[in-house]
Amino acid sequence: MEQRLANSLIMTVNEKKFIESALLSDIRVDGRRPFDYRNLTIRFGSEDGSAEVQLGQTQVIGFVTGQLTQPYRDRPNEGSFAIFTEFSPMADPSFEPGRPGETAIELGRIVDRGLRESRAIDTESLCVIAGKLVWSIRIDLHIIDNGGNLVDAANIAALAALSTFRRPECTLGGEDGQELIVHPPDVREPLPLILHHFPVAVTFGFIGKENTVLIDPTHYEEAVMGGSMTATLNTNGDVCAIQKAGGDGVLQTVIMQCLRIASVKAGDITSKIKNAVESYNTQRSLRKIKRHNPDQQGSSDVARHHMERLTVGSDQTGIASQFNEHDKTNKRNSTLKGFSGGPASWDPYSKGVDGDALRTTLASRVIPPLDKQKEESSQVNPETKSSPKSSNTNSFASTHESGLEKKQSKTLKDAVKPKHKRRNKSNAS
Amino acid sequence: MEVDRADGRTPNQRRPVVCTRGVLHRAHGSASWAQGDTKVIAAVYGPKAGTKKNENPEKACIEVIWKPKTGQSGKPEREYEMVLKKTLQSICLLNVHPNTTTTIVIQVVNDDGALLPCAINAACSALVDAGIPLKHLAVAICCCMVESGHVILDPSKLEEQNMKAFVYLVFPNSIISVLPDGSKRPGGEAMEHGIITSVTHGVMAVDDYFSCVKLGRAAAAELSDFVRNSLKLKAGNDPSKVG
Repeated sequence: MEQRLANSLIMTVNEKKFIESALLSDIRVDGRRPFDYRNLTIRFGSEDGSAEVQLGQTQVIGFVTGQLTQPYRDRPNEGSFAIFTEFSPMADPSFEPGRPGETAIELGRIVDRGLRESRAIDTESLCVIAGKLVWSIRIDLHIIDNGGNLVDAANIAALAALSTFRRPECTLGGEDGQELIVHPPDVREPLPLILHHFPVAVTFGFIGKENTVLIDPTHYEEAVMGGSMTATLNTNGDVCAIQKAGGDGVLQTVIMQCLRIASVKAGDITSKIKNAVESYNTQRSLRKIKRHNPDQQGSSDVARHHMERLTVGSDQTGIASQFNEHDKTNKRNSTLKGFSGGPASWDPYSKGVDGDALRTTLASRVIPPLDKQKEESSQVNPETKSSPKSSNTNSFASTHESGLEKKQSKTLKDAVKPKHKRRNKSNAS
Repeated sequence: MEVDRADGRTPNQRRPVVCTRGVLHRAHGSASWAQGDTKVIAAVYGPKAGTKKNENPEKACIEVIWKPKTGQSGKPEREYEMVLKKTLQSICLLNVHPNTTTTIVIQVVNDDGALLPCAINAACSALVDAGIPLKHLAVAICCCMVESGHVILDPSKLEEQNMKAFVYLVFPNSIISVLPDGSKRPGGEAMEHGIITSVTHGVMAVDDYFSCVKLGRAAAAELSDFVRNSLKLKAGNDPSKVG
């Protein structure tokens, strides 16, 4: 419990010496080589414009929201954006709530400079009525776990959240053509932001007197290093920003080498972000297709759709283990399913068509909802204490398997095959 | 008469729950709790040395920090912090570590209705993950009243905004096998029938409130089974948690 009582990281002399001497043989404490990045995972929330980035043990959540405001007087036809960084006390025992400290402000400034000065976000497209109404974008970055190298992770979270953010479409209408109509997302598809390029931040740490360089330091290495440098680059070969605030002096040749390595890493990270955004966009468009299906086929389908949604309702639980990287990816998959939302979003191709599930959902179409709930509750937990009212509340399975995929196979089949053909097939089987 | 809910649930059906413990590495205990689309992450640091200024040094002190999704912390966040602090104080064993502070940080990831119950459930799981001594667990649920007088369980954000009134209820985790048969508290009511916390919004009749409580208690009994089973998984085989 003594470690818990301390407020900040206590590094022993042995630990420091071990990190430095291991680096002389090009080995780092977690087994990486000096120029290897940790595992990067990008996940998206159920809403547009929210991203969760995990870089090794560092976790950052980014939220992007937009509001209509008046523009600045010297830029009447440009929108604006602002970055707010929150070093949450949950990330590190030494982070205090309240006013941001100097590291938090420095991180916010680095991310801001990378986006603003390089003109990555197209602000002119955010203008609605020149001089009167423009979109003001707000980027909130929450650091929830400090495992080192917060700048890179926060930058990636900002880019991922900006790529998936959608703003409602606005048109001028009304009698005199001067009234502004903001179309809700159900009426007209919201528009994405225009990003010209992706400025990716790459952080280097300098340890010891021999100018040993390493990339993506963990929080132990950050406590030991003498200086650090963050280079923000994009895949076009532009250097958007460089930040080296004090610390040990470094040779020019080392700096040039770092920039060359950074451009390679920037390319890797940009492709990872783009892949993640693409798969999110595919899922999002699939979700939109499903929502349109019942409207076209009539009200009976709507009722069936509702009845199928009742089969969704399994509670899931999981433990994210701390040590083993392999375990972590497994658990992350289970939390990934949880994170991607409840009934309204799923990947229809993730598990394929389950024959049993298909038969169950088809059979359940005939049974009225109340009986189906009782049938499900009788399968699971026969010893549950049930008061008269709670028999209805047992309509969801509290097992640890996911029943999410039962529904979507049916809905997709609606789009492909007519109903009567499918029913014959299940009767025959 | 059956009330039609937008996502097709029955009035007594809650949304599926996803609970994960140990999501953060620096925090001493952490949990993420998602009810449908509402998701909350809770982290626990503690016990740390010393208590705050006006707190009793003979007991452990609980501190709650609520971080909203966007924007500054304002008055609603202060209210949530206060409710959470009082709820958690009643379930923690405060005499085990006197003159210490346990900090619970709540981060809202997405708000789709029933935010405070979700946060209470997440905080309890995070406290268990951190190994803070507790008397029993708390299970939180939200019930609301429709215009026509029906009670529905676990509303989403749209339903909450259109409701006449809603109430957040917190019940102690029911004890099944610990108490021998027939042992009840003086007064004849078993312990799991108590209410730890109740926060109401809007106007509702007294009878309606009691029917909300009845429905909430039944739902909480079912939810507490899930919580107990989920916390039994892999308990006590993680040596990295020590210190």
